[in-house]
Amino acid sequence: MFKINLHLIEYAINTILRSKTKNIFITTIITLLVFLLSSIFLISNSIKYELNQTVDSLPQIIVQNLKGGKSYDIKTKVANEILEIAGVADAIPRVWGYYYFQKAGVNFSLIGIDQYEMKYKNSLTKVAQSFNLEGESMVVGTGVQKTLQNNYYDKYFNFIKPDGGFKKIDIGGVFDGDTQLESNDVIVMSNDNLREILDMRSSRATDIVVKVNNPEEIPMIASKIKAKYPNMRVVTNEDLKISYANIFDYKSGIFLALSLIALFTFFIIIYDKASGLSSEEKKEIGILKSIGWKTDDVLKEKFIEGSIISLFAYMAGIILSFVFVYIFQAPGIRLIFEGFSVLKTTFELPFVFDMQTLSLIFFITVPIYIAATIVPSWRTATLDADEVIR
Amino acid sequence: MIELKNITKIYEANKHNKVTALDNINLKFNEGELIVLKGSSGSGKSTILSLIAALSKPTSGEVIVDDKRISKLPDNFASLYRREHIGFIFQKYNLIPTLSVKENILLPLIPNNPDENECDFKLKTVLDKFNISHKKDSIVKNLSGGEQQRVAISRALINDPKIIIADEPTANLDEKLSLDFCDILKNLKTQNKTIIVATHDPIFFDLEFVDKIIEIKNGTII
Repeated sequence: MFKINLHLIEYAINTILRSKTKNIFITTIITLLVFLLSSIFLISNSIKYELNQTVDSLPQIIVQNLKGGKSYDIKTKVANEILEIAGVADAIPRVWGYYYFQKAGVNFSLIGIDQYEMKYKNSLTKVAQSFNLEGESMVVGTGVQKTLQNNYYDKYFNFIKPDGGFKKIDIGGVFDGDTQLESNDVIVMSNDNLREILDMRSSRATDIVVKVNNPEEIPMIASKIKAKYPNMRVVTNEDLKISYANIFDYKSGIFLALSLIALFTFFIIIYDKASGLSSEEKKEIGILKSIGWKTDDVLKEKFIEGSIISLFAYMAGIILSFVFVYIFQAPGIRLIFEGFSVLKTTFELPFVFDMQTLSLIFFITVPIYIAATIVPSWRTATLDADEVIR
Repeated sequence: MIELKNITKIYEANKHNKVTALDNINLKFNEGELIVLKGSSGSGKSTILSLIAALSKPTSGEVIVDDKRISKLPDNFASLYRREHIGFIFQKYNLIPTLSVKENILLPLIPNNPDENECDFKLKTVLDKFNISHKKDSIVKNLSGGEQQRVAISRALINDPKIIIADEPTANLDEKLSLDFCDILKNLKTQNKTIIVATHDPIFFDLEFVDKIIEIKNGTII
């Protein structure tokens, strides 16, 4: 029957403790590496998850009015014309825009809704049903609420209109969107109020969103709209997915570069460790061989030693990264991902447990460190004991 | 019985620097004998001990112990042979200086994964025998030369080997401690252990319980 050799484990722990300073240094380096890699992966996984959720809740088709490559207001009657295309379930003119709140240095997304029209997103339908947006009232996302409260706007906000005048709108409620990223910077109000803030006529909208009965037909209907309105830009949710993915890939490239630097440092340590043992370490192996330890026994002991250090460092790094990312919300590192075009106000990183990522980090740290511990010991242990202890 | 047949051992530091440590020697030791290998430094005494303990292999010739060809043993079997049959007392003791007395003595037992009772019994036996029970938790580097040697002897005997090999055992000891060591050897001999001592210390040459004194010079027996 297999019996765990506790004496060997005890000896391995003893060996680690005898070189306390050196081993604390190595453990710290591996912990830092695991922490950095794991934090990077956890943040990118969380943001990827969040972006996917955002992309999934995007409109199927958006029609924009282009002039000279720039987007301008579109006539609302275009929506009625699009409705006549076979396969189109609905066409809704949207009024929306951005508002730069100078004092806080953030952009808000302003979305107008008509309470009695069908809404193009679940979250907005809920807003339309739950809050009364008649009159001078608006509903804000949680991030917006926080930003406004920080600037002493608890009950209302004064928008500055393009003509320089003010438009005071009361905060009627706070809503949670389909995703964190989306709900944070959003302000929802009536189309009439928003048109006033954006200086837009009532026969105009920012764009038109199109709902299609059969999602398979999205590309075909998009091409029909394009054919009917050659001067307009028709964007499908697939196109948007690609552009989001491009932004994400660009940013994850920066993370990749950071990871490579960390890995490079780790491999220098590994190379240094694998390239040889100190004379004391060699002599100790020689002594063990001379008193009857087999090469296997020496390697088993070194395996335990390497496992204790690398597993401890791995666990510590992973736990630290979970605390750093999900409890402290990754201060510093996540700024790399927060760009103007995607994120504007603060948001919470959602908890995503990805076993694949944890396994990947495990396999690029723990077995490599154990191998780097065993290989030089194996080289020494296979020499004549006499040669080693002389 | 230990037999060295036509043994030659050449150390090769590099291609142009070869040292012949032993040159075609033949030796035979019987069980229970105490043999002293005499000779100056570099004469080849330690090499003979290394070959008997299977710590190195001869360039040519054979080492046979109890009818087994030790010199042909693969590495793992050589280790097992050392663990079960050999107790080696090194000139510089070869203890692990940062471990305690107890930890050093128990080292040869670790690969066998013995239970605690067996460890405690064997440890107590050697600690009492060599009068170092009171030092069992001391770190070895803090001990005197004589105490370190007793630890080395305890470690060599913990597995109760049949063959005890001592390489210049009194080189770092004063006269009193050297005489104490001779007493230990005498006691071991009464237990029918085969003891081989390599030394140039004259204290061993007049001991009445020594069975053979073999003089080695430049790798040959005189």
